[in-house]
Amino acid sequence: MTTMINTLRRDVEAKPLFYGWLIFLGLLLLFGAIAGISVLLNGLVVTNLTNQVPWGLWITVDLSAIALGAGAFSLSTVAYIFRVKSFEGIARMAVFVGFVGYTAAMLALLMDIGRPDRFWHPTVYWNIHSVLWEITMCVVFYSMILVFELSPAVLESNIVSRRFKRGPQLAHLMHRFTPLVSIFGLGLSLLHQSSLGATYGVLAARPIWFKPSMPVMFILSAVAAGGTFTLGLTVFYENIIRKRQITWRLRSQIAAFAGILMLAYLYLKMWDFLATFYYSHLPARVNANALLQSTTPYGVTFWWMEVILGALVPAVILMTPRFRSKDSLLIIAAVLAILGIIVNRWNVTLSGLVVPMDWSPGVAELFPVHRYTPAWTEWGVAIGVLGYALLMFTLGLKFLPLFPHSHSAHAEEAES
Amino acid sequence: MAEEKFLTRREFITAVAAIGGSIAAAVALSDFDTLTNLIDDELAIELPKIEKEGANHLGDSRFKWGMLIDLKKCIGCQYCVYACQAVNDVSDDMRWNVYFPEMTAETNVPFHMTRPCLHCNDAPCTAVCPTKATFRRNDGLIVMDYELCIGCRYCQVACPYDVRRFNWEERTEPSGYQAEWGHAEVPRRPRGVAEKCTFCVHRIDRGMAQGLIPGIDRAATPACVNICPVEARVFGNLNDPESPISKAIRERPTFRLREDLGTEPNVYYVPPEGMSL
Repeated sequence: MTTMINTLRRDVEAKPLFYGWLIFLGLLLLFGAIAGISVLLNGLVVTNLTNQVPWGLWITVDLSAIALGAGAFSLSTVAYIFRVKSFEGIARMAVFVGFVGYTAAMLALLMDIGRPDRFWHPTVYWNIHSVLWEITMCVVFYSMILVFELSPAVLESNIVSRRFKRGPQLAHLMHRFTPLVSIFGLGLSLLHQSSLGATYGVLAARPIWFKPSMPVMFILSAVAAGGTFTLGLTVFYENIIRKRQITWRLRSQIAAFAGILMLAYLYLKMWDFLATFYYSHLPARVNANALLQSTTPYGVTFWWMEVILGALVPAVILMTPRFRSKDSLLIIAAVLAILGIIVNRWNVTLSGLVVPMDWSPGVAELFPVHRYTPAWTEWGVAIGVLGYALLMFTLGLKFLPLFPHSHSAHAEEAES
Repeated sequence: MAEEKFLTRREFITAVAAIGGSIAAAVALSDFDTLTNLIDDELAIELPKIEKEGANHLGDSRFKWGMLIDLKKCIGCQYCVYACQAVNDVSDDMRWNVYFPEMTAETNVPFHMTRPCLHCNDAPCTAVCPTKATFRRNDGLIVMDYELCIGCRYCQVACPYDVRRFNWEERTEPSGYQAEWGHAEVPRRPRGVAEKCTFCVHRIDRGMAQGLIPGIDRAATPACVNICPVEARVFGNLNDPESPISKAIRERPTFRLREDLGTEPNVYYVPPEGMSL
């Protein structure tokens, strides 16, 4: 710990920009803490959530963070189960990004549930019929896997190995189990990443949500955006330290992998749109869609943010060798993919909730569209969670050997 | 300049119509127990403590509790709303049993709509609950164990009928309907858990333990059913063909809310004037 603080102090003194960054992170965390304490003291009454719109910004944060962490299982799968050796160069970074994403999601969830003291209840009091129960169990076990997969990096880091001499040895031993652990990671992730979409997809009462494409669109978009995010963050980091961490070949492979999945997501999204909106004349869906179009920016954000900027443009950049070889474009692709995921998760959640359910036998115009804009407490917690994630990325990239093969990567680069 | 009249013609007609309407309503109501009697009966109900209560009690599968709401009879007095709020200690913004004025399709006839929990046979809220805090008892009641609820609010998202309520804050004030409309018979729910209409499960369990029959004996019957001045609500055992509710369902035309969803509610509605099934 002291070495860590000493290193940070040295860096802060030497680089004013880094100093400013840390102060910025501190402010984000401070705002988050104030909002979080307000929520814990007063209850969820300080949010703008209601009995009709009980889920909002925080659920969007959970879903986005978990989706952006999906690079962990997908890139590990390519590396250790499909045995594409080159992908081992990104596996640790991907696992680390996943770890940050999942812990950030848990932080937001802890604020979101009414009884944070009972967060463990689903692990003891089972309802095997509930997709939310299944998600909870999967996320709990998968988090353990992420910790296991990340442990070698922690054990090999200077801070730990200096005091715990056998650290690297233990890390090597743990690393040997990685392929086996990856199989469990794959299974658990396939389950819960899609079940997050099923959370909405199984509800017959909500015409906009109730469709089998929901879980598949969730997992495809998560793997595409999660991979893009991991790659974009890596390239961004390379620019900060002015040193390449992954080979050009691996960079192209990851970009193509994420790009293909992004296209697969768009392909399914197209058919989903055609089947559920364009060609569907089910009154419930038509009415719900008309309400959304006339009262919310759903239509504009769907086409521009979810489809064109959030998926199509990143896919083009990722799939075109000339574009993806430019750092700036690759980072733009990652930022757009992140925005695309966030807007999609927000749109999915809110589109289903703001359209009132029609259960009364009469026809009086009783149920207006429900309005929801997050309260400052909700923004505060969301910003605090963002601050946590950024701080983790900063510390992790500084102190953990997340690119253990970067030396050989350089050698390979020099040869070619 | 026209002379200023004490009453315009329109005001006069409105006043006459209002007075006439009130007299008509009073005459109609006089056929039934007066409200003070109804409330006195409610307040006189004594509920003995029993060993297993509410959520801990799994119910008896020989019974299946249901309700019939006659929209032809309902006069929109909202007494059922208030009595529920008193007995279950429910605040105004969390009403378990709601009322609103409605209008029939095509014929545009105004009618009064009320809705408790429908206690569905296939209740979406029980399927989605991650901890079984909401569950279906053997007698068909959908009830909650507040000790298990984590406050995820998935039940609110899943319920097709907007039945579920959440405790957004700690409530320290009583509902405001006690004493006049009944006593608080169940403890107030803590902050951070969901809640819902229980068909006054505490009355059913305690009443049955005394040998009373829910739907017939007042002390074993939901407050909203007891308080109704026009007997628009009927309660009882759907498994018993001779129970008042089974007879009423046989005799009158009924429908259930959103049958297309397949939730199989146990609340039956008699259509209002102007609505054909």
